[in-house]
Amino acid sequence: MAISITKHDGTKETFNADQINRSIERACRGLMDPIAMVTQIATETRLTLYDGITTEEMDKATINAALQNVKDDPAYDKVATRILLKTIYRQVLGDYDKDNNLALTKKHREGFTKYIKEGIADNKLSPRMAEKFNLKELTNTLDLERDDLFQYAGLSTFLNRYSLKNMDQTPRETPQYFFMRVAMGLSFNEKKPTEWAKKFYNKMSRFEYIPGGSTNLGAGTVKSALSNCFLMEVHDDMGHIAKTVADVMMLSKDSGGLGVSVTKLRAAGSPLKSNNGISTGPTPFAKIMDTAIRAIQRGGKKKGALCFYMENWHVDFIEFIDWKNSSGDDYMRMRTANTAAFISDEFMKRVKNKDIWYMFDPAETADLNELYGKAFSKRYAEYVKMADEGKLRMFKKIPAAELYRKMLVSLQTTSHPWQIWKDAVNIRALNNNTGTIHMSNLCTEICLPQDKENIAVCNLASLNLAAHVINKEVSWGKLEESVRLAIHQLDNLIDINILSVKEAEKADKENRAVGLGVMGFADALEKMGLAYDSQPAYDFADRIFEFISYMAIDESTNLAASRGSYKNFKGSEWSKGKVPFDTIAKLQEERDLPVTVTMESKHKGLNWDILREKVKRGMRNATLLAVAPNANIGLLAATTPGVDPRFAQVFSRNKISGKYLDINHNLVKDLKNHGIWEKVKERIIEYQGDISNIEEIPEYIKAVYKTSFTTSPYGFIEVAARAQKWVDQALSRNIYLRTRDIDETMDIYTSAWEKGLKSTYYLHMEPRHTAEQSTVAVNKSQKMGRAGFGSLRKHTAVEKADESELLADSAPETMIVEPMVSPITEAEMPQPVPVVKVAPALEAMEKEMPDNNPAPKSESKPNVRFIGAKTCPTDPAEFNQCDSCQ
Amino acid sequence: MPLIGKASPEDMNLHPMKYQWAYDLYNQAVRNTWFPHEIALKEDLEDWEKMTEDERHAVKFLMAFFNPAELIVNRSIALGIYPYLKSPECHLYLAKVMWEEANHCVAFEYVLETFPLDREKVFGIHLEVPSMKAKEDYIFRYMKRMTENTLDIETVEGKKDFIRNLVATNIVMEGIWFYSGFMVALSFRQRNQLRNFGSMINWVLRDESLHLKFGINLIHTILEENAELITEEFAAEIRNIVIEGVDKEVAYNKDLFPNGILGLNADYVNQYVQYVADRRLEELGMEKHYNATNPAKWMSTATDVFELVNFFEAQNTSYEVDARAHSEKKKDEPAV
Repeated sequence: MAISITKHDGTKETFNADQINRSIERACRGLMDPIAMVTQIATETRLTLYDGITTEEMDKATINAALQNVKDDPAYDKVATRILLKTIYRQVLGDYDKDNNLALTKKHREGFTKYIKEGIADNKLSPRMAEKFNLKELTNTLDLERDDLFQYAGLSTFLNRYSLKNMDQTPRETPQYFFMRVAMGLSFNEKKPTEWAKKFYNKMSRFEYIPGGSTNLGAGTVKSALSNCFLMEVHDDMGHIAKTVADVMMLSKDSGGLGVSVTKLRAAGSPLKSNNGISTGPTPFAKIMDTAIRAIQRGGKKKGALCFYMENWHVDFIEFIDWKNSSGDDYMRMRTANTAAFISDEFMKRVKNKDIWYMFDPAETADLNELYGKAFSKRYAEYVKMADEGKLRMFKKIPAAELYRKMLVSLQTTSHPWQIWKDAVNIRALNNNTGTIHMSNLCTEICLPQDKENIAVCNLASLNLAAHVINKEVSWGKLEESVRLAIHQLDNLIDINILSVKEAEKADKENRAVGLGVMGFADALEKMGLAYDSQPAYDFADRIFEFISYMAIDESTNLAASRGSYKNFKGSEWSKGKVPFDTIAKLQEERDLPVTVTMESKHKGLNWDILREKVKRGMRNATLLAVAPNANIGLLAATTPGVDPRFAQVFSRNKISGKYLDINHNLVKDLKNHGIWEKVKERIIEYQGDISNIEEIPEYIKAVYKTSFTTSPYGFIEVAARAQKWVDQALSRNIYLRTRDIDETMDIYTSAWEKGLKSTYYLHMEPRHTAEQSTVAVNKSQKMGRAGFGSLRKHTAVEKADESELLADSAPETMIVEPMVSPITEAEMPQPVPVVKVAPALEAMEKEMPDNNPAPKSESKPNVRFIGAKTCPTDPAEFNQCDSCQ
Repeated sequence: MPLIGKASPEDMNLHPMKYQWAYDLYNQAVRNTWFPHEIALKEDLEDWEKMTEDERHAVKFLMAFFNPAELIVNRSIALGIYPYLKSPECHLYLAKVMWEEANHCVAFEYVLETFPLDREKVFGIHLEVPSMKAKEDYIFRYMKRMTENTLDIETVEGKKDFIRNLVATNIVMEGIWFYSGFMVALSFRQRNQLRNFGSMINWVLRDESLHLKFGINLIHTILEENAELITEEFAAEIRNIVIEGVDKEVAYNKDLFPNGILGLNADYVNQYVQYVADRRLEELGMEKHYNATNPAKWMSTATDVFELVNFFEAQNTSYEVDARAHSEKKKDEPAV
C-alpha cells in the first residue's frame, strides 16, 4: 500500500523511507549499535503508519517506536528524547540544518533575544525580562549541550507542564530558555541581576536543583504567583466558611496546593449560634470545596489539589475517615480532595496503653485545637472528666486502638487519611511564636502556623542529590554552593511573588518561609552502591541532611545580615539561638518518652555553636527545609523523587503528560557491565521490576536494587527519622507495604511516631493481583500444571517451546508450579516474620531486616513448592490468593 | 462431585470444598471491586474534542461492540455455563462475574453518556454493521445450543457442547476479542489521550484477566474429569472454533480502522489478535497457529508492570477493597 504524508500546508507527498531513516540515524549517533537501532525503529515506525498521516504524527510515530523498545535498552530513550528535542527546536526556532550542530547552537543563541522580546510584546513575559538584564551576556551563557541531560519522561514533562506555549499549544521556549527564564525571573531585585541569573541558570540547567512547579510555571512571566503551598483554617462561622471557599478557588488558580483544617467546625448536631437550628457538621462544607477545586485547572494543566486536616478528637472524625471511600453517599465523599489526620501524642499513648479515646464537639472544647504537648494532655483530661460527669453536651467514646485500626484500615484501602503528628510538628517548630500550627499542607512536609489573618505560604525548591555524587563520593563543595544559591533564590522569590489573597500575601511577606528539599536520594544511594534499608544509607541520610541544614541556616543568617530578619523573627525559637536538632530534647521532655533515633552526629566538622550564635542575631526566613515529594520535578531532572525508594526496577508512571515506562538506568548499566542484561531483561518485566528471584544477578546487586515493596518499611522510617533530626519542617514520607496485616501496619506507624517523624504521606499497597501481561510469555495452564488437549501429544512440543520462552531452568514434569506472571508478587513474599516486629532500637531493627534471599523451608511447609529460586508464599492467607497453585 | 452435570441437593454445600481455585478467584474478585463513578472523565472529554474523525470512529466502534458484548457474556453465563455447573464455589464466582459484566456495561454506558455521542446510533451499530453482527452470531450459535431441550449435560455430546460454548464465550470473546479491544483502547492513553478512560479499561482488564483464568481452569478441570473428551477430533474442532473467531476479527478490524490512526491500523490489530490467539491455544494445550509476534511492545508500559500513580493527576487503579480490621494471623487460628 502506497502511503502518502499530509504536510503542514495540507499538501501530500509520497512517504519517503530514506528521509525517516536519516532522521532516526541522526538520533542514534554515538550510541551502541546504532545500525540495529535504526532498523528496529524504522521497521516499527512503518508498521504503524497509515495513508494520510501528517508530518507531525510521523514524528510521534517514530518517537513511539523508539519508546516501546526502552524495555530492551534504555538507549532507545535517548533516541526518543533527541527526536523530541529536534521537534521542539523546530517549533521554537524554525527550520534549521539538522546536520550542522554548530549552526543549531548559533541559531539557538540568536533566538533567545527574540524569544524575550516577543514574549514581552505578547504579554507573556514581564517587561523586566528585558529591562533588567544584559541579554547578550545571558545569551552567551546558554548551553545547548545540557539538553543532553534529559530523559524522555522529563523532557515530555517540561513540554507538557512547564514550557510557555503559543496559542496553538506549541512551545515558545526550549528547555534552556526555560531555565534561563526562571533564573532571570528570580533575579529582578538583585543589584546585579545578570550575574545572579547566570548563577541560578547554571545550577538549574545542570539539574543541581529545581524549583517547585508554580515557580517553573510563573517565574519571569506576567503571572507571578510563584508559591507552592498554602495552609489555611476554616473558622466556625458561615462568613468565614464562604470566604474560605473563595480563597480556595483563588489560591488554586495561583497554582498552589492547599492544606485546609476543618477541626474548628462544630460537629453535626451541634446547636447553632444564630438560630435554633443545628449544624450539619464539617462534611457538607468540605464537599463544597471538594467540588470547587475540581473546577479549577491549576496552571491550565491539573485540577486543584487540596488536603483536609482534622484532629482526631473531633466527634465527626469517624465520618471524616470515610471521606475517601469509593462507595457511599456522594455528598459525603471527597472525590478530589485528600484527607489527613492531625494526631496528638495523647492519642498515640492511649493507643499503646489500650485506653479509651474521647471525642468532642469543638464548639465546647475550642481550646484543644490550640494546645499541644503536656498542655494539651492536661486540658484533654479535664474535658474527659467533664464528659464523665455529664457536663458536656456532646461526646463519643471509643477504644483508642479501635479508632487507630479504623484509620489504618482506611489508609490501606483508600490511602487516606494520612498521618501527621501534631505534637512533633509544634514542639519541634522554631517558627510558631506567632501561633499554633494546625495542619500540614497538601504533601505533609510543611509546618507553618495560621490563623484568621494569616494563610501560611511556603516556597519550594529541591536539590538533586544524585547530581552531587561523583565517583561514589558526595561533592561537598558543590553541594554547599547549591544549597546557598537555592536559599538565595528562594528568598528572592518572596519579593517578586504576588498572591491573590491578602492573608496569604501577609504571611508570605512576614515569614518569608521557604522549603528547600531534596530529590534523587535513592538514585544517589545506588550510585554509591548502598542499599536503601541499610546502616550506611541511614548514616548517609543523617550526614547529608545535617550538612544541608547547616548550610541553609547559615545562608539565611547571611541574608539576614545583609537584608534584615523576617518580621516575626523576634520571639521565635531561632531568636533564642535554637537550631532544629535542639528541639528533639524538648519533644522527649514533653512526651516523657525517648525519641528513638540516634543523637550522634554523622558529619564531623560542622560547628553548630558558632552557627547558633549567628542564628540568634537574625534569620531571613522562618523556615528553611522541607522535603516535598517532587513527583514532577524529579521526573524533569531524571532522578528519583524526594527521599522515595526506587518504586520498582521497571514500572510505569501514569502522568498527566502520558504513561511512561520507567526503567532504572543505574541497574541496567550495572547489569550490562556484568554482561547479563540481555539474559535477564525480559524476566525483569515478567517479575514486574523485582530482581530478587533472578538467579543470574549477583547478590550484591540485588541488595542495592530492591523495590519499594521488598525494602523494609522500617527502612523508610529510619531514613526519615535521621533526616528529620535536621529538617526544621518535615518530609513527605511515602510508605510502601506488602503486608496487609493491620497489627503489623499499626506497629510500623507507631514506630514512625516513636522515632520522631512529623508526618507520613501516601501508603502504597502492593497489588495482589494485576492484569494478564501482554508482552511476556504467559501460559496459565502450564503454570497450573495442566496439559489440556496437550496430553494428546507425548512429550509435547508445548513444554519445549515454553522452556525456551522462559529462559529458565526446565522443571521436572512433576513440578507443577511455575509462578511466572502477575502472581509472582505474592509468590515472592519474603518470610513475613522478619518485617513485622516493632523495632525499638536500631540494632534490633538491623537484625530484623528481611533477608534478601529467604531460605526455602519446604520441609516444614508441605504445601509450599519450590522451583529454582522462586518460592510460594508460606502465609496461608497469601497462599490462598496465589494462583500459581490453583 | 464432578464439576459439570445436573445439580443435586448436595451441590448446595460449599464444604467440603473441592475447587479451591474457584473460591480463591471469588475472593480476589471481591477485592477488585470498583465503580465507574470513581473515574472522572472531564479531561477525556477535552481530548475528545481534539481527536480526529478516525480516532473518534474507533472509540465509537469499540463502545458499540463492548456495550452489548458485556451483556452477551452475561447471557452466555446464565444460559450456557451456570446451569450446568454443580460446584457452588463456581456459582459464587460466576455471581460476581455477572455483576462485573453488568458493571462494565454500565461503565461503558457512563462513557457514552459523557461523550457527545449519538447514543441511538452507537447502540444500533452492532445490529447493522455486518462484521460486528457476524461476531455476535458466532457467539449466539453456540449459546443457542445450550438452551435446547435436547441437550443432556450427562452425555459426552452434551459436555462437548458445553465446552464449545465456553470456548466461544470465554476464550474467544473475552480472551481474544476483548483483549484486542483493550489494546486499542489503551493505545489512546499511550499517546496521552483519554487517560481516564484508560484507567477504566485497566480495571475492566483486571476483571477480565480473572474471568479468563476461571474459564481456562474450568476447561482443564472438565477435560481431566472427562478424559473421553480428549480426542484428536475434538481438539481439532476446538482449535477451529478459536481460528474461526480470529477470522471474524479481520473484517471487524477493517471496519474499526478504515484508514488507520496514529500508531494503529487494521493490520497491526490483526497481528495482535493472532498473537493473543496463539497464547490462548497454548493455554488449551495446543500448538500455536500463527506464530505472530506482539506488535504492541508498548503494552509492557500499559499493563505489564506496576503502575506508580501521581494521585493528583490520575485515578489509582491498584487499590483493593476488603481490608481486615483484625489481624490475619488471628484470623487463621480457627482452622477452616
